[in-house]
Amino acid sequence: MNAHSHARYEALLKVTGQARFEGEIAPAGLLHATLIEAPIACGELVSVDAVEAPTRPGFATLVTHDDSASLKSSAATTLIRETAIHFHGQPVALVAASTLAEAHDAARAVRIATAARPAVTQMDQALGAAIAPEMVGRFPAATRRGDVATALGEAELVIRNRYSTQVNNHHPMEPHVVVCWWEGPKAVVHTSTQAIFATRATIAQAFDMPPRNIRVLARFLGGGFGCKGQLWWPWMFWAMLASRKTGRPVRLELSRAQMFTLVGRRQQTEQDLALGFANGRLTAITHDVVAQTSAHTDYSDSTAVYSRLLYACPNVSTTHRLVRTNEPQPVPMRAPGTAPGTFALESAMDEAAERLGLDPLDLRVKNFADHDQETGRPWSSNSLLSCYRVGAERFGWADRQKRKKRDGRWTIGFGMATTLYPAIRQACRARVRLNGDASLVVQCGTQDMGSGTYTALGQIAADALGIPMAKVTVELGDTWLPDGPFSGGSQVTASIFPAVQSATAQLRAMLASMAASDANGPLGGKTSDDLDFEGELIRSRSSNAAERLSDVLARTAPDGLVAEGESAATDHPKLAATGMGHGAVFVEIGVDSALGEIRVRRVCAAFAAGRILNPLLARSQYVGGLIGGIGMALHEQTLTDRATGCILGKSFADYLIPVHADMPEFDIAMIEEDDPHLPGSVKGIGMLGSAGIQAAIASAVHDAIGKRIRHLPIRIEDCLGPACDTAQR
Amino acid sequence: MSGPSFHYIEATRLDDALAQGARHGATYVAGGTDFLQLWKTGLAAPKTVIDICRLPLAEISYAGDTLSLGALSRLSDVAAHPDVKIHHPLIADAILASASGQLRNMATLGGNLLQRTRCPYFRSAGLACNKRAPGSGCGARDGENRHAALFGTSSGCVATHASDLAVALAALDAEIVVASAAGERRLRLPDLYLLPAPTTAPDSSLADGDVITAISIHDACRFAPRSTYLKIRDRASFEFAVVSVAAALQIEDGVITAARLAAGGVAPLPWRLHGSEAALVGRAPGKAAFAAAGDLAIEGATPLAKNAFKIPLLRSAVIRALQTIGGVS
Repeated sequence: MNAHSHARYEALLKVTGQARFEGEIAPAGLLHATLIEAPIACGELVSVDAVEAPTRPGFATLVTHDDSASLKSSAATTLIRETAIHFHGQPVALVAASTLAEAHDAARAVRIATAARPAVTQMDQALGAAIAPEMVGRFPAATRRGDVATALGEAELVIRNRYSTQVNNHHPMEPHVVVCWWEGPKAVVHTSTQAIFATRATIAQAFDMPPRNIRVLARFLGGGFGCKGQLWWPWMFWAMLASRKTGRPVRLELSRAQMFTLVGRRQQTEQDLALGFANGRLTAITHDVVAQTSAHTDYSDSTAVYSRLLYACPNVSTTHRLVRTNEPQPVPMRAPGTAPGTFALESAMDEAAERLGLDPLDLRVKNFADHDQETGRPWSSNSLLSCYRVGAERFGWADRQKRKKRDGRWTIGFGMATTLYPAIRQACRARVRLNGDASLVVQCGTQDMGSGTYTALGQIAADALGIPMAKVTVELGDTWLPDGPFSGGSQVTASIFPAVQSATAQLRAMLASMAASDANGPLGGKTSDDLDFEGELIRSRSSNAAERLSDVLARTAPDGLVAEGESAATDHPKLAATGMGHGAVFVEIGVDSALGEIRVRRVCAAFAAGRILNPLLARSQYVGGLIGGIGMALHEQTLTDRATGCILGKSFADYLIPVHADMPEFDIAMIEEDDPHLPGSVKGIGMLGSAGIQAAIASAVHDAIGKRIRHLPIRIEDCLGPACDTAQR
Repeated sequence: MSGPSFHYIEATRLDDALAQGARHGATYVAGGTDFLQLWKTGLAAPKTVIDICRLPLAEISYAGDTLSLGALSRLSDVAAHPDVKIHHPLIADAILASASGQLRNMATLGGNLLQRTRCPYFRSAGLACNKRAPGSGCGARDGENRHAALFGTSSGCVATHASDLAVALAALDAEIVVASAAGERRLRLPDLYLLPAPTTAPDSSLADGDVITAISIHDACRFAPRSTYLKIRDRASFEFAVVSVAAALQIEDGVITAARLAAGGVAPLPWRLHGSEAALVGRAPGKAAFAAAGDLAIEGATPLAKNAFKIPLLRSAVIRALQTIGGVS
């Protein structure tokens, strides 16, 4: 496999507006729907008075819990089958009309009666009622190895702090949308989802119909970051019910404000972390996490999981607890677990280095874990030490204290931290068709969130068969295609790689045998291991002989060839080695402590995540991830009004994300790894940029102004020091 | 989202607009950058919208040391105008610190001065807000109030005014020209705004149907060599001020002969710092004078639970602005 920085497969389609996003599908007779929201955070829906709404112009139908009674009971239908209200803004009805304005108008005419109960609107109101989940994702929620209490008691240095992170929202540019209709017993569902097959399975279950009668399409997505999954399904079901009631296609798109309440969030955390050291080595880690979940569903990030394995340490104890509040439901958000977890762990490591009189980088190197100490397994590959070395060199880490510490009004600070994310695969299938003219079609029912899946699919197949990308067609985002992986957990490329490789290997074998079996052809009698595929030719390695792919096909398979391949999911219990991607991120920040302002000036990050298929797209993923990390570190915070449970400031004017002026230069190094345990040495990369940088920024703030900030986001009031007239200038 | 339907009138003459605008349930729209947000979220639900953006009120002139800015001038045009850039750079600075390039291309001067507060309780339908729903209370006072005002608040409203431009204009003693069916009148800029009462908090003193036609700034070019707009915000661009300071000095023979200071993000209206100004005039620019101005700027500031940091921030911002234009630190 060769790395190649192909431009995005769909670039031209997107910049010329030809890429059709699912919300742009506009069948004849389309109705537009809107959701009516509960004005209370906790209680019961008493009644929906829709006497007046049907008299409004354009009104088509109203869908309520009564209509949901026809759906099977499941996790995806609870909120629309039961009348309990769990959070402010929870939808209680859907109205469809001829135009969106008419739908909004009719919705305003619907009278909702609710009975409120006292609500828990913030985590601190119910800390005593925290519950302990059994699992956090696929990991046990609580673990203990060694004797933590003794180790902490005997440690030469103990760093013990509380770290807190705020609620963030995902906010892909494209909100959730569905355009759906029924064709007799069959449903067609165009929707912006990270998981078309899971969406199909959930519809099949809720509507009690065979999956083959459901077609789900998501061919282009304007981002996802983890929120385009299960929390969207109830409202999508209501749109489908509206379509079934009216016999017309229905379109529902969430508003930006609803993106704050209906489709998930990164949960708030309070993390108690203690590190014990002897001779500069970690002897004990305790990491106890309390996080917010909703009143109706328990969800926990794997926040403390990475404290079990990032560093060598014999005594480790971790726990996760959840506080149920009448706030929206959390779900995974880019770098789930690692973003908040490394903020605590890596911030504490920086503090430890200071107390031990060690360079923060040296302390990390000294505590490097040469195997996965939680499972006892080796790493499938681990180039973290190279990340530290390469990143430090490119950043100029060793010389940082010689650099000037002041630039005009800015006091300069430097910080670094580690990032990591597991390398895992899902089972999936892919189909590759080689046409008679040697053009290629690659098919896989996965999604491209904008991260480059089209390109990766095409590139893997094209490379294996020596065909230029210009002759490759990629089809994805349709449940008529072979089962593809959901787009989450940085798994797609690693998952599709073996499937596409298997399909192309079959095609290569067929083609080689076809070329060699023609005694009069240029490759007649050659053995298949002598044959290579390059430049649209089948070429002999041992001689100058070659034949055009199209000639071989014209002679023996004018209609082309098709092959399907499969990937197996990561079999966690049977793994011989733990797969993990790593990175080291170095930042330079400026603080104007008289005014509290903080700006990131420079980021250098070195990542090791297996073999990189496309450095151009990989860089885009890393930089995008780092920008998200800057947002979590300095800007993003979703606020809940304590009195009402209402989310405040539900717009991009109030929920701040970094703008271009907040983004520094990014220097990205990619360290290639050969990984004997992972097919194609492919690891996921999407999450790596979004963790680590938060702690690096917090450490850089400390380096600049001597203040340890142990919460996110870090803002003006945190950095505000003495006034201008007392501070040095 | 879309708000309730309304009757749309495109005004071509000022007298027509004034007559239509005085009717019940009518509102004017010019650039629409704030109105659209309010309408889409249901916070503004006018029966009639009178689009005045084509009225001939976008002229910019400068004569006899009076700068006259047509109220329908676009922010970007004003910031780029030579008479503003060269003779009144404080106005250009404040505009360029506002919003984004796209918004400045649409937004008008008059609309900018009349934009509604960013207080999230005002912007969230259903929450207690005396400004939006008189008598409903103030959710911010005991709620999320990091953004809230330090001065001029009432028991019933702690909202700030969000305009950067208004802060610069207040510092330059701008006058507002207002037209109504009864004729034309002139207001000092601060008199355009009202302080909140215990249970109500209307933004402005304008009556239904009033239109701001122009902004007039007289005798201000003397501040051109020494003026600055300092805006402190949570990200580098495209964000409202946490605290801002418009500062202008006139220094002759090493002595401050005139000083203008106004603060944004701290009050329901652009907050002129008269005490600080008085402390500067007659003194040599320098550490002592600037510190005195900073100290006086925060006199009378009343913090809430989450905005107390704005007090030292305001003091620091005043001093920094004066250092920037005072020629000495």
